[in-house]
Amino acid sequence: MNKMTRRSFLKGTAMAAATVALPNAWYSLARADSPGYFEKEFGMTDKLCQKVLAEALSRGGDFADLYFEHTIGNWLILEDGKVNRAYCDVALGVGIRTVKGDQVGYGFTQELTEKAMLAAASTAATIANANANKPAGKFVQLKMNNYYPLEKLLTSVPLESKLPLVQSANDKCFALSPLIVKVTANFHDQQKRILVVTSDGTKAEDLLPRNYLYVSVVAEKEGKRERAGWNLGGRKDFSYYTPAVADEVAKAAVDRALILFEAVQPPAGEMPVVLGPGVTGVLLHEAIGHGMEADFNRKKISTYCTMIGRQVAEPFVTIVDDGTNLNLTGSLNVDDEGTPGQKTVLVDKGILTSYMHDKISARYYQVKPTGNGRRESYQHYVQPRMRNTYMLAGPATPSQVIGSVEKGIYVQDVSNGEVTIGAGDFAFYVSQGRMIENGKLTAPIKDINIMGNGPKMLKNITMLANDLEMSRGGAGACGKGGQAVPVGFGQPTCLVKSMTVGGTKA
Amino acid sequence: MNKDMLTLAQWCVQVAKSVGADDCRVSINSDRLVEISYRERKPENIKEASTKGLYIEVFVNGRYSGQSTSDLRHDALNNFISNAVATTRLLAEDPFRTLPDPKYYQGRADVDLGIFDVDYEKFTPENRHSMVKEIEQACLSKGGDKVISATANVNDGHTESVVLTSNGFEGYTKSTYYVAVAEMTAKDEGDRRPEGYDYAVAVNRKDMPPPAKVGAMAAKRTLDLLGGKKIKTETLPIIIENRSVPRLLGGFLAAMYGRSIQQKQSFLADKKGKKIASDQFTLIDDPFIKGGLGSRLYDGDGFAAKKRVMIEAGVLNKRSVQEIMKDLGRGIFISDFIGGNSNSTTGDASIGIIGQLFENGVPVQAVAEMNIADNHLKFWNRLAEVANDPWMYSSQRMPSLVFTDVVVSGL
Repeated sequence: MNKMTRRSFLKGTAMAAATVALPNAWYSLARADSPGYFEKEFGMTDKLCQKVLAEALSRGGDFADLYFEHTIGNWLILEDGKVNRAYCDVALGVGIRTVKGDQVGYGFTQELTEKAMLAAASTAATIANANANKPAGKFVQLKMNNYYPLEKLLTSVPLESKLPLVQSANDKCFALSPLIVKVTANFHDQQKRILVVTSDGTKAEDLLPRNYLYVSVVAEKEGKRERAGWNLGGRKDFSYYTPAVADEVAKAAVDRALILFEAVQPPAGEMPVVLGPGVTGVLLHEAIGHGMEADFNRKKISTYCTMIGRQVAEPFVTIVDDGTNLNLTGSLNVDDEGTPGQKTVLVDKGILTSYMHDKISARYYQVKPTGNGRRESYQHYVQPRMRNTYMLAGPATPSQVIGSVEKGIYVQDVSNGEVTIGAGDFAFYVSQGRMIENGKLTAPIKDINIMGNGPKMLKNITMLANDLEMSRGGAGACGKGGQAVPVGFGQPTCLVKSMTVGGTKA
Repeated sequence: MNKDMLTLAQWCVQVAKSVGADDCRVSINSDRLVEISYRERKPENIKEASTKGLYIEVFVNGRYSGQSTSDLRHDALNNFISNAVATTRLLAEDPFRTLPDPKYYQGRADVDLGIFDVDYEKFTPENRHSMVKEIEQACLSKGGDKVISATANVNDGHTESVVLTSNGFEGYTKSTYYVAVAEMTAKDEGDRRPEGYDYAVAVNRKDMPPPAKVGAMAAKRTLDLLGGKKIKTETLPIIIENRSVPRLLGGFLAAMYGRSIQQKQSFLADKKGKKIASDQFTLIDDPFIKGGLGSRLYDGDGFAAKKRVMIEAGVLNKRSVQEIMKDLGRGIFISDFIGGNSNSTTGDASIGIIGQLFENGVPVQAVAEMNIADNHLKFWNRLAEVANDPWMYSSQRMPSLVFTDVVVSGL
């Protein structure tokens, strides 16, 4: 059942992630895959695609597309000291879409047979009611860059190679502190093959890896328990997962749990908030990014729908959404409707310059699609979605930013963010942070929320440091309209001059 | 029973055993779904599909794994199951993860749960279009000139599932569902465009509210958000609206899961038999409610379902939310939550709120950008009253709840 809601959220623990300086170069390495996968494996010839697209346009419609998907996902789970559970999921199917103006007809099937596909196409076609249109006579393979080169397919990495990684993360946690009483660890790897065939003659094929190592620990001290987790990953090759990575994930999880024994709750109310670099970019994603997705603006339901060309932030603030970062979780060689991966500047030196578009909204605004058309799977419609969203570095140093606050909080990590698109209000749980007193970081804090309003927060960013970092986690997933897609985010240290901090101390 | 699905499940059990599984559990689902949305008085989305999926759990030499696929071609399945068994051999042993002793399958209730609407096939495309149009129209009428956007959605479907284990469990379930949703965005001060929604879910069409009610209620709930702002931080009584209760209660219940307790992630681990909530609080897990969204005859392990009292004490109240509000005088009525977190290890919870400040028993100001924070062990002891309005469109039928002395953070 699908309760329809516009609200978006980022999944809780999945957000825990470390940070790294943004890779600004793009490297082209050999692909671990060869084109023509769906034709070779499932007989999806151009001729058959053309026939199905013709059916999808049999009652008119502006355009139609086919989205073939074959995804294999594996989970290895360690609990109570042993890797004693594994899960695997295989998804295979095709989604068929017919678009007329801003109206969408959609059918999908798991049977890649001509009969089943024609039936799904016929369902999609019902959105239109006019004379038939014809798809293009031939399809041209889309030329794309590769932002996640693989040395070998994850499915060809034997289980025996993955098991020690998870086990060593567990052992490291117990070695780091006698206070650790429980560890759960899991390694997830997924490879998603897609083929997009459009009625205007484009054919795009991609192989998207996604993987992460996640560790969660429970520590016990003087009868009190605390829990924390951490993950590293992205669109990586398996060679990324060295023993050093397992150690880093373990240490981050343990450190984060132990510090909570010292944590206090700050007083509730309005105060300056400094967002640390890296994973707090999730706040930028929620509070600001969602409102800049073009569907919400086309329908006039986003608070940003009248703000294109307007000054929405100080001139030192530039925000981008980027599909071209090497191996980051939200990177895309091509989006899910055949538009090549690219970088989109949303806010340029304080001015709102662009929304994030799929093909439908791009036609509405008469601009080019920005490569943000994404879907969770072949069972879902395309929506404008974020990729890797971040704010560029500013002029200050991190210590200048912290030093400017007399009394406030420093947020190191947040999770469970949620926003109302129209009002722009948002709430975040602060999982790691510190008090700021007289310009210095003092006691750690825990179990509080920060609340605010997107446009107000943007205007209230009064200082920005020169330390942009991107999240290095691979588990980040964003939800919208019942669909989850992997995303990345980052930002430099920044000062929001006033936000509401929720706690139990009135 | 669906013979084809059962035959496929039996074949999978045979294949798994033949390639070395000691035991296995096979679940097969077959679903049909239809979804229609309207916006600006025309269809925005139309979607329809049938899906099938198979999930097999294999037990090999005391080892366990679970594997799912939508590729049900026999050749593909054969390989899939062989790989599943081979993978499982490489894992560590887990002596506690086995199929249940078949004695726990016994005693399955022989009752009709009423979760399949026999009239489902009579729900035509024309019915769907007229229902969704009615929802949109009611929302537009009630919202009047404040409407920026209104979207109505109707989705429905049916699902069949077969579960078979190698040690004798056989289960079959057939159910239907209907969902109606309306969302509205309204004009407010400045750039604020608050959005509200209403929805209903039921397994039988006759249990759905009139479509116009869903549309009108979405508009009312949106209009209630106009002028939302934060007020001064203070300690106040709160009323949590029925439909929002599960979100907060979920954090409390998470600490009662066996896994949370075994993994030392539960603040309730040593609290069985002890007082953990106010005398107003009784919580029952009943799998046999006729037409209930969570009703079932067996659980995921095949255990025969039983009714259980989770927390016992309370007295059911007869007062409505309006009467309670009048009595309290001043407080916050919470109609929705936003963001937030609940820590099952410590019990600390913090969550954003959306709702109304009421004074002299009457809502006077919409509130936004505000928050409540507390510890579950303390919080549920301050449950002061339970209203007479269980929300029926959920598997969690919760009434509105009243709590005293909650810190509501704002300015």
